[in-house]
Amino acid sequence: MTDQPPKPGNSRSSPKRKLTPLSFILLACASFSSAQTPGKAPTLTVAPVPLVTTQRTKQTTVEINFRVPPGYHVNSNTPKSEFLIPTTLRIEVPTDIILGKTEYPAGKDMTFPFSPDEKLNVYSGDFTIAVGVHPLRSVVPGKYAMHGTLRYQACDNAACYPPKNLPVSFEVKVVKEPPAPHKNPAQSPHVHN
Amino acid sequence: MKRSPLVLIVLAFVVAVMLYFGVHQAQRPGASLTTHLKLSSPAPDFSLESLDGKTTRLSDFRGKAVLLNFWATWCGPCKIEMPWFVDFQKQYGSQGLQIVGVAMDDASKEDIGKFAKDMGVNYPILIGKEAVGDQYGGVPALPETFLIARDGKIMDKIIGLKGKAEIEDAIKEALNSRPAPSQASASDGAVTAPPQK
Repeated sequence: MTDQPPKPGNSRSSPKRKLTPLSFILLACASFSSAQTPGKAPTLTVAPVPLVTTQRTKQTTVEINFRVPPGYHVNSNTPKSEFLIPTTLRIEVPTDIILGKTEYPAGKDMTFPFSPDEKLNVYSGDFTIAVGVHPLRSVVPGKYAMHGTLRYQACDNAACYPPKNLPVSFEVKVVKEPPAPHKNPAQSPHVHN
Repeated sequence: MKRSPLVLIVLAFVVAVMLYFGVHQAQRPGASLTTHLKLSSPAPDFSLESLDGKTTRLSDFRGKAVLLNFWATWCGPCKIEMPWFVDFQKQYGSQGLQIVGVAMDDASKEDIGKFAKDMGVNYPILIGKEAVGDQYGGVPALPETFLIARDGKIMDKIIGLKGKAEIEDAIKEALNSRPAPSQASASDGAVTAPPQK
């Protein structure tokens, strides 16, 4: 048995080209179905944070974007009940880099089938948390990795899932502050002899 | 053979429909029992501390129909069910229903107690442990409720918040179950697995 070259007029395309659109659709279907699987804890995702350049002695805001899978929500940072677990971001910073204020977005007040009479303050879809980063003058210029954790507790319309921790990391490039503008030193009068 | 893009679109649509119905099939109560914990299998016994400090075993309730509810203070849907369970315990307690709550919580015992008191809970609340959750399939979502027949076997499993009537039907079914012959004389428990401490 020998391989036959494709006959002229045989329009079979390469398997790769033929499968690509179908594979894409299947992957989309599979990811959609897995995101909706009941009884399975959803996982939030964090978008890669572009390298942030900041000067020493100045505070720069780093925005970190998160996504809640469709069909789920997480409590905001200020849920309305003392028993609900707020979404919190904790970042560990290297020595001599100070963490500024962490700004959480306002949640949406929503009612759910399990809570028709009580509005809950939640995040769903995409949300952004902003973190202030403030390198001190003593920081050696260079790149610094910042690591942290987003703690959240998700629910869907009928069930809630145990709290989870999502690792978060980003890099900050610290550069020297521009030299301070210095006044011209007092000119000594020219002496003409 | 040349396949038109239409064929691929139809094929993708069929796959999407199959996935959709597959997900909905999995949502049916009892359809997603883990492989090692099936309907009609003996409910694993355990030993946990209750809010009042007593050690309670599931097998203490042998001969009764047990509604075993895994919940947590941070679980909104659980708060909806708890008043129902209070009503069920009042209504069916004399017929042999015993509701048992297991708090799968990181909160302190005091906080759990406060929560339960606020909810007017009239049934035992036990402080859950991960090992006990693992015995019941890991309890990945709350609330999760098991209906245990009088013979100690699992009759039904309900994940998430369902209707009150659906839970009540499951309770009635459990109440109609017969105790194991050996349990009639209270000489032997239906539970076979050793209790988790």
